[in-house]
Amino acid sequence: MSESPNSPPEASPDSAIGSDPGGMTRRTALKLAGATLGAAAFAKAIAPIADWAADVSVDEFLQKHYRELTPEAMAKIIARLEADALEEHGVAVHIADPKPQPGVKFGYALNLSICVGCRRCAEACHKENNHDRPSGNSYIRVYEMQKGTMDLAQGNVTYTHPVADPEKYYMPVQCQQCDNPPCVDVCPVEATWKEKDGIVVVDYNWCIGCRYCEAACPYHARRFNWTKPEVPAEEINPVQAYLSNRLRPQGVMEKCTYCLHRTREGKLPACLEACPTGARVFGNLLDPESEIRWVLANKRVFVLKEELGTRPSFFYFFDK
Amino acid sequence: MSSPGTSSSLQLAADPRRGHFANYVRFLWRAGIAATDGNGWFYAWMTLLTAVGLVGLNAWAVQIRDGMAVTAMTDHVSWGLYIANFTFMVGLAAGGVMMVIPAYLYHDEEMHDVVIVGEMLAIAAIVMCIGFVVVDLGRPDRAWHMIPGIGVFNWPLSMLTWDVVVLNGYLLLNLHICGYLLYMRFLGRRPNPRWYVPFVFLSIVWAISIHTVTAFLYCGLGGRPFWNTALLAPRFLASAFVSGPAFIIIGLQILRRVAGVRMSDKPLSILTNIMRVTILINLLMVVSEVFTEFYSGSSHTAAARYLYFGLHGAHGLVPWIWTSVVFNVVAAILILRPGVVAHKRQLTLVCVLAFVAVWIEKGMGLIIPGFIPSTMHELVEYSPSLIEWQIMAGIWALGLLVYTIALKVGLPVLTAPRSAKH
Amino acid sequence: MKAPRYLSAFVVVALCTAGAWALRAGVTAPGSDPVVAPSSLTASSELAGATRLRHAVNIRSGPATPKVLTNSLNHGGAPVPVACATCHTTRAPNLALHASEDLKEFHQGLAYQHGAQSCLSCHNATNYDTLRRADGTSVDYPRVIELCAQCHGPQYRDFKAGAHGGMTGHWDLARGPRERNTCVDCHDPHAPAFPKVRPVFVPVDRGAVQQAQRAAAHPVSDSAHE
Repeated sequence: MSESPNSPPEASPDSAIGSDPGGMTRRTALKLAGATLGAAAFAKAIAPIADWAADVSVDEFLQKHYRELTPEAMAKIIARLEADALEEHGVAVHIADPKPQPGVKFGYALNLSICVGCRRCAEACHKENNHDRPSGNSYIRVYEMQKGTMDLAQGNVTYTHPVADPEKYYMPVQCQQCDNPPCVDVCPVEATWKEKDGIVVVDYNWCIGCRYCEAACPYHARRFNWTKPEVPAEEINPVQAYLSNRLRPQGVMEKCTYCLHRTREGKLPACLEACPTGARVFGNLLDPESEIRWVLANKRVFVLKEELGTRPSFFYFFDK
Repeated sequence: MSSPGTSSSLQLAADPRRGHFANYVRFLWRAGIAATDGNGWFYAWMTLLTAVGLVGLNAWAVQIRDGMAVTAMTDHVSWGLYIANFTFMVGLAAGGVMMVIPAYLYHDEEMHDVVIVGEMLAIAAIVMCIGFVVVDLGRPDRAWHMIPGIGVFNWPLSMLTWDVVVLNGYLLLNLHICGYLLYMRFLGRRPNPRWYVPFVFLSIVWAISIHTVTAFLYCGLGGRPFWNTALLAPRFLASAFVSGPAFIIIGLQILRRVAGVRMSDKPLSILTNIMRVTILINLLMVVSEVFTEFYSGSSHTAAARYLYFGLHGAHGLVPWIWTSVVFNVVAAILILRPGVVAHKRQLTLVCVLAFVAVWIEKGMGLIIPGFIPSTMHELVEYSPSLIEWQIMAGIWALGLLVYTIALKVGLPVLTAPRSAKH
Repeated sequence: MKAPRYLSAFVVVALCTAGAWALRAGVTAPGSDPVVAPSSLTASSELAGATRLRHAVNIRSGPATPKVLTNSLNHGGAPVPVACATCHTTRAPNLALHASEDLKEFHQGLAYQHGAQSCLSCHNATNYDTLRRADGTSVDYPRVIELCAQCHGPQYRDFKAGAHGGMTGHWDLARGPRERNTCVDCHDPHAPAFPKVRPVFVPVDRGAVQQAQRAAAHPVSDSAHE
C-alpha cells in the first residue's frame, strides 16, 4: 500500500496497484483482467442505447420549454421537425403553432340520448391526430353503459355488436379539459399546462415520460407513447400543430387537444365532424350566442365525476 | 474480510503534515482500495452482483431503444414493478433510520456502533430509489428538465418535485454522516458532535418526510380511491419501520458470521422490539383499511376486491397479497415470542417473512391495485414482463453493490473497540 | 410571430375548400345543393374585434322531387322512372292506406314504421310531386325539414340551436362556413328511427381482450344491480 501520493484519485485502484510489491502481482493481474472484462461487458450491455441515441439530435436534447422559446427558436424547431418528418416518412408536413384566440374558451357537450356508439369519433381522432396504427390509439373511448345506471363498472368498451342496443346508452369519454386539472398539478417539469382557451396541452419535447399525469387523470384521458408511433406515410395527416397532432416521439405523454390545429383556426374538431347523429356540440363558452351556451342554458347538463372538483369543460346531457 | 491490513489502512493512513484536501483525497483512495479488496467469497459476491447489474443494464438499454412497450405496463396500468419497488425502497431508506433513533434519541451507546449500518442502508436504498425512478422514465435523457435552474421545477405544486428534494436531501444527509464518521476514523480523530449530531437528528425527521412525501404522491390523487386515503402515509411509515429493521437484523447477522464483526445481541434485541411494535401497528392499519373498504361496500372498493379476492374473473394479485398477509401474520406471531432473539434462525426467518410481506404489500399490493380497475372502471391486468424483472434485479444488484462497498469501507469502524470512537 | 401568417393562409384555404366540403357531403347523401339557411338558423358568434365577415350555415336541402321506377324497361334495359303525378293523377287517393302491404302494385316492400300516419299524412293527395303539411298546404321535397318540424318540435328546436344533427366546417362562422345535414340525411322518412350500425374501430390496446372475456363471462353480474 505505498502508491504515490500524487496518483489521481479518479484512477482505478486496479491500475495503480500494479506498482505494488511482488506478492500482489497475481491478484493485480486478475483484478485487471476482471476490470477489462467488466468494462467490455458494460459496453456490450449499453450498446442498444447507441441505436436510440442516434435518433436524438443535440438540438432536440437541448431544446427549452415551450414557453421559454422565442418565435425565432420556435421557427427553427418547427423547421427541424418538418425536416425530420420529410426524412423519416418522406411526407411534407406543415406544422403550425396556433395560439389561443382572445375571447375564446372552448367547451364541448355530448348528447347521450342520441349517441349511438358507432365509435366513428374515436376512428376520426385516430386518423386526424396521427395516432400509432398498430395499437389503434385514440383519445376517445366509448363506453357502452347500462340504461338506468351511471356505474362505469357495468360499462364496456370492446363491444362489436350492431349499435345502438336499446338496453344501453353510449358515453364517449375524452379529455375533459378540466379547469382544475389534476394532471397539470402533478407534472414535475410543467410539460403539461392549461392554455388560455381552456385546452390542456403537452410539450412533447419537454415531457420526461414519468406518467404521473396519467395516474392523476380521473378520466383515463392521457396516453403514453409506449413505442415510437407508426403511421404509414400515405396516412399521415400533414396539417399539424406543435402542441397537437404532430408526429410524437417515443416515451412521452399525449392527450386530446380538442384538435387545436383545427379549432384554433375556427374549424370543428374531427370527432364532431365524424359524428353521424350530431350528438356532439362544440363552441366558445364565452360567446353567449354559441351553440354550446345554448346547450348549457337549455339542457340539464352534468359533468363526469363532479365530486372530484376537476371542473371539466366537457358536458354531458340526456334529451329524455 | 475484515483483514487487519484493510482495517489499519483506513485508520492510520492520514498524514498529519498535509491539508484536508490532500488527506481527503487519500481517504477516498484508501476507501477505494478497501472496497475492492477482499477474499475469494467477496470477489465471487461482487462478480455476481456486477453480472446481475449488467443484465439489468442491458435490459434497460433495450427498453430505451424499443420503448416502454417492452414492459407489461399499459395506459391502464401505467406504473408497475418499478414504481412498486421504488415505493418499497423509500420505506427501506426511511427504515434505516430506525437504528439511529434508539442510538441518539435514547443515548444507547451500544447502538452507536451499528448505527452506521442503518445509515449505509439508507444510502443504498436511496440509490435504488433513484434507479427505479430513472428506469421508469420514458425519456431518461430529459431527466435534466427536473433540475432547478436549468430545467423547470414544478415546485411546490407537484409532489414528485417534493420527492426529488427529500430523496436527494436524504441521500446527501446520510452521505455526509457516514462520510464524516469514516473520515474522522481515517484521520484517527474523535468525531466532533457538532459536525454530525445535528445532521443525525435532522435525518430522523427527514426519514419520516421522505416516506410521507412518497405517500402523498399517491394519496393526493382524488381519481384513485384505493390510494386516496389519509391512512396511507402512516401505513407507509409503519411498514417502513418493519422492513428497515428486518433488513438490518439480517444484515447484522451476516456481518457477524461472514465478516466476524464483534457485536453483542443488544442491537438485535432492540431492533426486534421495534419490529414487535411496528409489525402490529402495520397489521392494525391493514385491518382498518380492509374493514373500511369492505364494510361500506361502495363502488370504491372495487380495487380492494380485485386485490384480495379478484374481480370479474381477474385475480392476478390474489396470490401476491395473500402471501403477504400470511407472511405478515406468521412473522407477527413468531416475533412476539419472548425468546426469539436467542434463536437466530427463527429471528432470521421472521425478518425474511416480514421483509417479503412488506415488499409485496407496499409494492405490487399497493401500486398495481391503484390502477385496477382503471379510473373508468376498465379491468386490465398487469404482470411484469421479463425485461422488468431483469431491470429490477439489476437495480437490486446495484443497491447491494453499493451497500456491500459501503459496509466494506465502514468495517473498520464496526470492528474497532468502542472506546476508540467515543 | 408566425401565427398571423398561418392564420391568414388558413382563411384562404378554408374559403377555397368550402366547395370541397359540399362535394364530400354530396357523396354521402343525395340532394346536396346547399341552400342558405334562414337567418334564424344562422348561429352567430359575434366577438369583440372579430372581423365582420359572417359565413353561412348551409343546411343541405332535402331530396329532389322523387321519381318512381316502373316495370317497363328502356332501350338500355333499365327500368323507366316516372314522376309520381304520372300515375297518381289518374287514380283516386285512398286515405286509409297505412302500409305498402295494402297496395296491389307499386311501392311494394317499402318498410313503413313511422307511427300511425297514413301515406297521405305527408304525401300531398292533390299534388303527389309535393309533400303536405297538416294544414293542407304543400311543401316541396327539398324543404322536407319544414314538414318534419311540425311534429318533431323538440328535435327541430335542438337542430336550430345546433344541438341535433351532424355537421362539418367551422364552429367560428367569422372564419368559415358550416355545412349541416337535414332530417332525411340520417332518418328514413318512412322508418325514421336511426338504424343500427356496426361499430367501427374496436379498441385493440393491450388488455382489451380481458375485458371482452369479462363481459362474456359475467354478463349477468354486470347488469344485475340495475
